[in-house]
Amino acid sequence: MSTCVYGIVADSHPLGLDGLRGIGAPGSEVRVVGEAGLAAVVSTAPERVRAKRRDVLAHQALLDRLGGQGTVLPMRFGTVAPSDEAVAGELRAGAGHYRSLLEELRGRVELNVRAAHSEEAVLREVLREDEGLRETCAELRAAGAGIGDRLAFGESVARAVEARCRRDADRVTGALRGHAERVSLGPLVNGCSLNLSILVDRDRVGAVEREVDRLREALDGLADIRLHGPLSPYSFVAAGRPAAAG
Amino acid sequence: MSRAGTLYDVLDLILDKGIVIDVFARVSLIGIEILTVDVRIVVASVDTYLRFAEMTNRLDLTHNSKAQTLPEMIGDITEKGAQGKGRGALSGAAEAVGDIVRPKGSRKEDDGDEEEAKPRQRARSASDEEKAKPRVRARRPRPDDEDAR
Repeated sequence: MSTCVYGIVADSHPLGLDGLRGIGAPGSEVRVVGEAGLAAVVSTAPERVRAKRRDVLAHQALLDRLGGQGTVLPMRFGTVAPSDEAVAGELRAGAGHYRSLLEELRGRVELNVRAAHSEEAVLREVLREDEGLRETCAELRAAGAGIGDRLAFGESVARAVEARCRRDADRVTGALRGHAERVSLGPLVNGCSLNLSILVDRDRVGAVEREVDRLREALDGLADIRLHGPLSPYSFVAAGRPAAAG
Repeated sequence: MSRAGTLYDVLDLILDKGIVIDVFARVSLIGIEILTVDVRIVVASVDTYLRFAEMTNRLDLTHNSKAQTLPEMIGDITEKGAQGKGRGALSGAAEAVGDIVRPKGSRKEDDGDEEEAKPRQRARSASDEEKAKPRVRARRPRPDDEDAR
């Protein structure tokens, strides 16, 4: 029976996991593997796991709960160890690394900020600001431009739009950097123009919320900004543990 | 501030971040982690340039004439541009890949109440590094409820 691992906490963590289940259908029972002053929250991995929505939700719910009660090191979704003993072995081997990570992250949470620009709104703004583009457009129309000219023109418009989005994204990042202990820029998935994670002290969450509100207002409909969290510090645990620690 | 319910907005964090232990395995993410085309490349494509040229042309017209009302125009652009070529082609590709990685018979084993997570792509703006040709890459998932589609 293999073991799915969700997160690692210090053994002083309250581990209040009532009502939560692990991955699988029906949700697997969650248990704790303790070793070396650490505790791993695990469940038995279903025989054939194919990740589904409910599994991702189960993973996130467990980490949410653990993060709300203390500090948790989130595992990447779907980490499966051969056995509970293997998990205990990993805790033992990596104890120094995991303890110092827990210490470093204590009292801190991840907030994720995503901006998504409205292409339409940005295009209007770019045209409003750039007389040259407007003129070129008028000339092309008057001349009944061929595909080469339209292509070149479209490229300059696309670049201007892109530059504007990046400028806004930089502005948001700059404003939030001041609240953050650490900053992590993620990939621009699903068409977002900013995917920013910041590690903040828990008592600064309110200040970040207010800052995001101000930024959203300043963008004046050009972009939607969404704040997610507090999250477990997904972006601020090094992906692996240094080999030397083991 | 959002918590549960907007899970998929932060799906990349859950799937791509967090601690990895090399000696441990990872569950199969077939269904959410299928090959997808990174849609950001669309910004640097011929299609996109023509689309922007066309959109600009239409937008600019409104400065000079009242021939077309704004809502009509926006509807037109949305239909012909963003959701036309780019999106159609991309989701077509994703579906094709989905068919390959998920043999038809395997569907029967799924429980009926829940859809396997599926990717979704949207063509939008990009950053400078995404210039060249379409790159195919693993992941960039965007599972959705069936209801939401």
